[in-house]
Amino acid sequence: MSVEELRGISQKALKSALKENVDQAQVAAFLFDSARTRFANSQIHQNVVSKKGGVAIKVAIGKRIGFMRADVLEAEQIENAVGQAIKIARVNPEDKYFKSFPEPERWQSLQDAFDDDTANCSPDYRAERVKEAIEVSHSESPLVKAVAGSILSSSYSLAVTNSLGMSAWTKMSLASMNVTVISEKTGSEGFGYAEQSSRHIKDIDPVKLAAQASEKSVKSINPAKISLGEYEVVLSPIAASSFFVFLSLIGFSAAPYQRGESFVKYHLNEQVFDEKLSVKDDAGDPRTVFKLAVDGEGVTKKRVPLIDKGVVSEESICHDTSTASREDRQSTGHALPHGLIRMTRPIPFPINVIVHHGTASVDEMIEETGHGIFVTRFHYTNPVVPTKAVLTGLTRDGTFLIKNGELTKPIKNMRYTDTMLSALKRISMMGKELEAIRLGTVTVPAMKLEKLRFTGATEY
Amino acid sequence: MHELKYQPVVKKVFYKPYGVINLSYDLGKKAINEALKLGASYADVRIGEIFDENLTVRRGVPEEVSLLYSRGMGIRVIVRGAWGFAGSIDLKSEGIAETAQKAVSVALASSKLKKKNIKLAAIAKSRKDEYSTPMKKDPFEVPLEDKVDVLLSAERTLAEQSPLIKSSSTFFRAFRENKLFMSNEGTEITQQITFCGGGLLCVAVRNSEVQRRSYPCSFRGNYSTAGYEFFESLALVEHAKETGLEAVRLLDAVKCPSGKTDLIITGEQLELQIHESCGHPTELDRALGMEADYAGTSFLTPDKLGKLVYGSENVNMVADATAPGGLGTFGYDDEGIPAKQVFLVKEGLFMGYQTSRETAGDLGLGKSSGGMRADSPLAIPLVRMTNINLLPGDWKREEIIEDTRHGFLMDTNRSWSIDDKRLNFQFGAEIGWEIKNGSKERMVKNPTYTGMTPQFWSSCDAISKDDWKMWGTPNCGKGVPAQVMYVGHGCGTARFGKTRIGVLQ
Repeated sequence: MSVEELRGISQKALKSALKENVDQAQVAAFLFDSARTRFANSQIHQNVVSKKGGVAIKVAIGKRIGFMRADVLEAEQIENAVGQAIKIARVNPEDKYFKSFPEPERWQSLQDAFDDDTANCSPDYRAERVKEAIEVSHSESPLVKAVAGSILSSSYSLAVTNSLGMSAWTKMSLASMNVTVISEKTGSEGFGYAEQSSRHIKDIDPVKLAAQASEKSVKSINPAKISLGEYEVVLSPIAASSFFVFLSLIGFSAAPYQRGESFVKYHLNEQVFDEKLSVKDDAGDPRTVFKLAVDGEGVTKKRVPLIDKGVVSEESICHDTSTASREDRQSTGHALPHGLIRMTRPIPFPINVIVHHGTASVDEMIEETGHGIFVTRFHYTNPVVPTKAVLTGLTRDGTFLIKNGELTKPIKNMRYTDTMLSALKRISMMGKELEAIRLGTVTVPAMKLEKLRFTGATEY
Repeated sequence: MHELKYQPVVKKVFYKPYGVINLSYDLGKKAINEALKLGASYADVRIGEIFDENLTVRRGVPEEVSLLYSRGMGIRVIVRGAWGFAGSIDLKSEGIAETAQKAVSVALASSKLKKKNIKLAAIAKSRKDEYSTPMKKDPFEVPLEDKVDVLLSAERTLAEQSPLIKSSSTFFRAFRENKLFMSNEGTEITQQITFCGGGLLCVAVRNSEVQRRSYPCSFRGNYSTAGYEFFESLALVEHAKETGLEAVRLLDAVKCPSGKTDLIITGEQLELQIHESCGHPTELDRALGMEADYAGTSFLTPDKLGKLVYGSENVNMVADATAPGGLGTFGYDDEGIPAKQVFLVKEGLFMGYQTSRETAGDLGLGKSSGGMRADSPLAIPLVRMTNINLLPGDWKREEIIEDTRHGFLMDTNRSWSIDDKRLNFQFGAEIGWEIKNGSKERMVKNPTYTGMTPQFWSSCDAISKDDWKMWGTPNCGKGVPAQVMYVGHGCGTARFGKTRIGVLQ
């Protein structure tokens, strides 16, 4: 189904709603075709394709709002969904903050957002890339025991129409691959990990990913236990990305901000982070992978300065129309695209995060470290005290001790518990290379922090 | 140890909410026949629809009043000894053929990179059956206005407790899944799973000090496979005052100190401890490395089965899909295996896994534990928790407190994290109290505790029976692509010796 057909569906549903004398209506129609080949123990064990699509209908009767999302694209079912949204609006109490659905605005489709090769990638092509990753991993060392990971090829289309004249549409392709390598020697396991995202499936390089993950995996066999405390850390882009995802979740989304649970609220216009740290959310930046021109409400995705030279402000907050109306502001275009990103609750959220790069290489960061830890990846990061930006999580898939400028030995995985207001306050060096992580929603360099507080350790 | 005596599964006539699709055996047969025709040696199909009503009131305004409806089918096949799966929203005849063809072509690609042929654990017999969640009041038949009124009233009560309460929210959710499972082995199951529930959340702020309090537990409340009567039993309006006041009192509480101490954990927190440190590591797909790239593996490797001391002799844990009201309660899993109870930990010893037919076959277990679930007909079933329950001990909750000379009690989850083998964990609770000479004394804020799974459960010396209940966790994430499943945990209050608390100091 083409984006033009989705436009037709949204326009037809809009007409149906307006026939029922609602004051305003908005319809988003979407289609998400995805295929994921997953492997573990050096063989394909899950191989899935899915075709998902539907409509998200919002109507306003005065200040009474009704919303229904129906994952159907058949005319009769869409009619039913429109009727249901109207029923909800008729009995729903007024939302005193509601002003209007978004006004139409000029928008531009983004260059190079869609790649036919990615959208039409065959299962055989994905299987071949998996085969390469597995073979290269095992060829790196006889100690490699098992290779795991997945490769994704997908396409997403969205068309949004509303009764104020809004008519916006966007489509993108997305490819991604990650490789985890497990090695073993005399009963001790080592782990390594690498990932890559692109809009172009042909850019995905399983050989490179496998080589990177294998090298780390073999090197991390027989990890030593080190004492807890504060260490200098060199974070790979993958590790660094965890901090920015969770700062977005607890800080830069309007939802926690309006609940009073965002650290940003208590540090407006303060130099809370190192001045080397500038972070923006910008769908228009050519370096971001997740390229959608408009959000789930059809609003153009605005560039939001999440952190400007270490300073956060009210401008750091990402809004959709609903949260914006509570503060008499305009949406920044951060309503999530329907059916694409799985969140427990749909809240306005930045998905084109770009951290400003520096000038250092990872090797230079290691050379400049006296006594520190190199982190490949963090696992199960979660906020502990959101208003103080305290996060916890564990290292994973390759953690190494750095001494006198060299990686000296693998260490057992460690738990950090620290406030980002301290950890990101003193950034010694920023990497010069940006990597698109987490399906390309975060584009970030490696970085070296003066200290991160480690509060626990595990047994491997 | 107190074995729980459950009622047998209740079968009822299906409710007929808005837009019910025809759970058509003909469509299912067509999908299976198509797959077999294309070379599948095994094929199953799931056709289903989901209704998900979410209501949120915040600061006097209905912030979210929404209904989500999804439907579709998923075809799972084995071709040349390898898996393939395709899901689609298209339920038309030609769409089914296309989806079956996709599943087969994907399986053919898988078969080029397999080490051995998939072998499923046998089923006792093929079944034709139906199951429906027992309930008194269908939550989808209760007028929306009535539900919103309860939320508005409860939220008003929360908010009016203090001007320091800056955010107050109330929640309702009703969920229904109508689904059909068929396989070429002759199994034909239709089910209707319904759950509902809700809760309260308020946030108190003074200067930059922020505290939150939830009722009856975090994650927007508690949920049960039951009707609207469960939501009514939560009595949100009646509990709003105390919830609001506790959030405000927390602003004046002292920080949780650091140290090693006796720790009493109530069910509202213990449920997530069970989830993370027993539920996930006993999933056999994890233990066999199938989740290595994402959620991780497990310290409970197959060589430890029946040998590893997981906890003290007081600790008995089961995976139980038959527990009344549990969020993981159903008639059959998504491979058509009947709901059952299996021991994971018996008198402290690691005794069992949650399995699928494939993983059970891999380990030579003979039969599946019935733990395969998918969060949508479009998604592939994975080994998922059903209800992971800590069986009651001999204590009453108050007896545990009275028996504690010095320690801390922690209540209601606030934060959680655990390593990728499920050993090192750290949890935060919303509220804590110091216990001195058998009584609750001063309140403490930002309480946290940490430990290693086997050592922690081995220090468990008291488990209550009087406050044992089912807790619903509707947001368990697993798999790639990510799926979110609703699972349950039965537990009461338990005590753990010499546990490290106060990580934030």
